[in-house]
Amino acid sequence: MATLQLKKLTSVWIITILVLFVLAIVFGILMRFNQGNAIHLSPVGFYSMMTIHGLTMIGIWFVAGMAAVNFLLQRYIKVSAGINVFALVLTVIGVVMLWLVTFVGEFHTGWTFLYPLPFRGAWKEWATPLFLLALGVLGIGWFVWSAGMLFQIFRKYRPAQAFAWQHLRKGSPEIETPPFILISTVTLIGIITCLVAAVLLLVLYFAEYFSSGSFVNDALLMKNLTFFFGHTLANEMLYLGLASLYELFPEVSGRPKFKMTWYVALAWNCTMVFILTAFFHHMYMDFVQPFAFQVIGQMASYFASVPAAAVTAFSVLAVVIKNPIRWSLTNTLFFVGVTGWLIGGVGAVIDATISNNFVLHNTLWVPAHFHTYNAIGNVLFSLAFFNWAANEFGGKGHTDKFTRLKMTLLIIGGSGFVIMFYIGGAYSVPRRFNVYPQEFSSLSILASAGALFACLYLAVIVWFLVNTVNKCLKVFSAA
Amino acid sequence: MDDKHTFTLVLFFLLTVGIVAVFLYAYLSSLPSSSAKGGLTNPKKKRFLLFFILMEAVIILFTLTLPRSPYFFFANSTPSKVVFVAARQFSFAMSYQTIAPDTQAPAKAIELPRGKPVEFRVTSFDVNHGFAIYDMSGNLIAQTQAMPGYINRLRWVFDSPGEYNILCLEYCGMAHAFMRTSFNVK
Amino acid sequence: MFKSIFCGLSIFCLGAVARAQGPGYVFSEEDKIYQKVADVNIAYDGEVRSLSGLYSQGPVVIALIYTRCSGVCNPFLLQVKENMLVADSDERSRVLVVSFDPRDGSGEMRRLAIRYGLDNDGGWIFATTPQISELINSVGFNPVWDSVRAQFDHEALLVGINDEGFITRKLTGLRDFNAFTSLLRSIRNEFILSYPLPNENMVFSCFSYNPETGKNQPGTGLLLLLLPALLSLVVVFVLSRRHDRKPRF
Ligand code: HEM
Ligand SMILES: [Cu+2]
Repeated sequence: MATLQLKKLTSVWIITILVLFVLAIVFGILMRFNQGNAIHLSPVGFYSMMTIHGLTMIGIWFVAGMAAVNFLLQRYIKVSAGINVFALVLTVIGVVMLWLVTFVGEFHTGWTFLYPLPFRGAWKEWATPLFLLALGVLGIGWFVWSAGMLFQIFRKYRPAQAFAWQHLRKGSPEIETPPFILISTVTLIGIITCLVAAVLLLVLYFAEYFSSGSFVNDALLMKNLTFFFGHTLANEMLYLGLASLYELFPEVSGRPKFKMTWYVALAWNCTMVFILTAFFHHMYMDFVQPFAFQVIGQMASYFASVPAAAVTAFSVLAVVIKNPIRWSLTNTLFFVGVTGWLIGGVGAVIDATISNNFVLHNTLWVPAHFHTYNAIGNVLFSLAFFNWAANEFGGKGHTDKFTRLKMTLLIIGGSGFVIMFYIGGAYSVPRRFNVYPQEFSSLSILASAGALFACLYLAVIVWFLVNTVNKCLKVFSAA
Repeated sequence: MDDKHTFTLVLFFLLTVGIVAVFLYAYLSSLPSSSAKGGLTNPKKKRFLLFFILMEAVIILFTLTLPRSPYFFFANSTPSKVVFVAARQFSFAMSYQTIAPDTQAPAKAIELPRGKPVEFRVTSFDVNHGFAIYDMSGNLIAQTQAMPGYINRLRWVFDSPGEYNILCLEYCGMAHAFMRTSFNVK
Repeated sequence: MFKSIFCGLSIFCLGAVARAQGPGYVFSEEDKIYQKVADVNIAYDGEVRSLSGLYSQGPVVIALIYTRCSGVCNPFLLQVKENMLVADSDERSRVLVVSFDPRDGSGEMRRLAIRYGLDNDGGWIFATTPQISELINSVGFNPVWDSVRAQFDHEALLVGINDEGFITRKLTGLRDFNAFTSLLRSIRNEFILSYPLPNENMVFSCFSYNPETGKNQPGTGLLLLLLPALLSLVVVFVLSRRHDRKPRF
């Protein structure tokens, strides 16, 4: 069971993440108001904010998932606390560097830093190398963390068992793999793969940086590597969130634990394989990408997401429908999160279809769908874990009399915010525009409306932060 | 705001309503935690059915949409006009002749014929840019990427005359939102 | 409001453009694409014919050389010959080797053909033209006479012409086989969605065309895309070596 040390560590993660989350949302709201012409940021200010918003959000929800998986893994295996501390320290250093790079260095490539933009922008000269270095620091911390956990999983389960392959055969297997272990293994391997892609990318960047012109990279290769890393990481962080859902949802609802079945095993093995080529859907509009890759991209996008989503949704629904459930903030967050994730997934599948992508690529449809499965999907999974953990640490019961109010405000704020993106996207408003040109002026009003809804969302998050941090701090005074 | 764009939005909202309805039903059908056991009958069978239907839907979606991918558009016709496009931070150069990086882009306005295939040969002189064609009512109708080191060819037939706008759809730096140009179809 | 932002921006942007140096792509390859080649007279086999008479019978690849060249022309012709053997096995395209040196006459061209063993090959034509400058201007080729070395300063240039006389693709310098096939496909009016411009400083290019299938095939760059998956397999293997038979708790 969780040691006091692990509880303290997890508390530090939770507090850090929530504080950064609030700041990043504030930036998001400012950007959206700027797009609605309600305030006027300088272009550099806007794009620096956009860059740090994206980087921070991806970073914190990734480590949130990791911290949760690390905490819950303790139920099955022992994970080194040293590695956790190491990851925490490197993450903090990396984040501080990134904030320096964007706000002092005015670095504003967007979080995807598409080659060769980092070499060709109007920012401080030191910003580009420091940015790449920051990515390196984060990458090392996260690589060691995920490899450490994977190592411990493999000490107890053979790889074939961790992948639950014995469940794919007929008959009931001797050793049952908990779904949590399967999903964690699949996800950790995916994370290692995309971090390796990031290393390659960084090597190529530095090679060009230090060669002073004698070595130039291929823009297409760099784009593929960028999305191999970026897309895959953004996807894996969702699966980390799902791992804690599989572990905790039935438990806090007062229902029997999820059992491994061949459906679950198959769906997650599917995800493990297909996720590695799904990122090709970012290159649909690069006509130079081989046609075969485009087809694989569309196929993989469907098969990486649909089976896992269907299995998870069905498992959650089967727990809830007509069953006695102990509703609390924790499982309501999980439950609503699954809904948001599925809706975002529908938006994603629409966009991952090449014939649609032709008119949706790089419009607001993109932030629309990923904000849906993040802001009202994955984030809620992690918040659910935070709430559960804080209650464990804080020693209070799992009831919260404001559950309904909080959830209602969160849903209204969150969906109002993303609906404005969807409408803009369907009607061709480009993403990543700091201000909208004349022809979209009627739609840019939606931006301010979106920002107002986001304020509601922010209010609930601040409320949640105050509650959670209070409980988390108790761990330290208890000692 | 034409039909295709509205259709996407409506389709999405219908699916959303469906998902929300299912989850809302599940939530409302759950019982107080003290009550006796209820639950789905035969969940495994239902799960299999759902899985089966979904996979079928995915495969059908795939086979229906793939042939409509833009890569095949007008591949067998000879373009009646060719336009060279070179993007750079933060402008587009368009010309009937090739454009070299060291020359100034010709200021001549581009005019394209209606109802005949035209070809855009798109590249970039610095970072990645997007080349997106918007019609008179602000709808995105066709796009490709402008990538340094590559020529991407986009073929299209313009059915109605008027002024079409080109916007950059790949983030390329701080004046990205102002990177645009236009041409006329007669 | 809009206007002032814009003015401020443009000043900034000019600065940014000035700082950005273009990579070493050879853009001249796009020059003259889709324009018509000049319909010059060409002389071979003791007769004078028009270029349009030639290409109207089928697509043509033009190779521009001169016989006294001590530089690129020889390796260039050799490469074209080898590429043609493999890439054009069904012999649908012809190569027109034409001299841009006024000193070259039919005798020199004939000897050149014999030297390459192509004198009796119907697919190859070794010709001279009285209208050199018209021809080279129409395809965008500028050899410069270097009186010190008594040689032309020039690049190797292949020009693909379809059966209507339009220039569909050009290749500058000694290029790989894949680029050559994409030229052959383009003169047969095949639509190639996209292709790379040559760059000398590039080591890992992503994709190239496979002549057999006419599709893209992996270049060194693609191997790099497989690497992450392979490396993580290795990681999984290494990590799983320490499996405890009996879990410790
Ligand atoms: C309610 C809170 C949020 C607000 C108000 C907000 C707002 C925004 C806005 C206005 C943009 C720029 C959209 C554009 O391209 O025009 C953006 C981009 C982005 N957001 Fe959020 N966001 C929120 C939550 C999140 C969350 C939870 C994530 C989690 C991963 C996230 C990740 C991103 C990313 C990755 C980008 C792209 C940045 C880029 O283009 O480089 N956001 N957000
Ligand atoms: Cu641009």
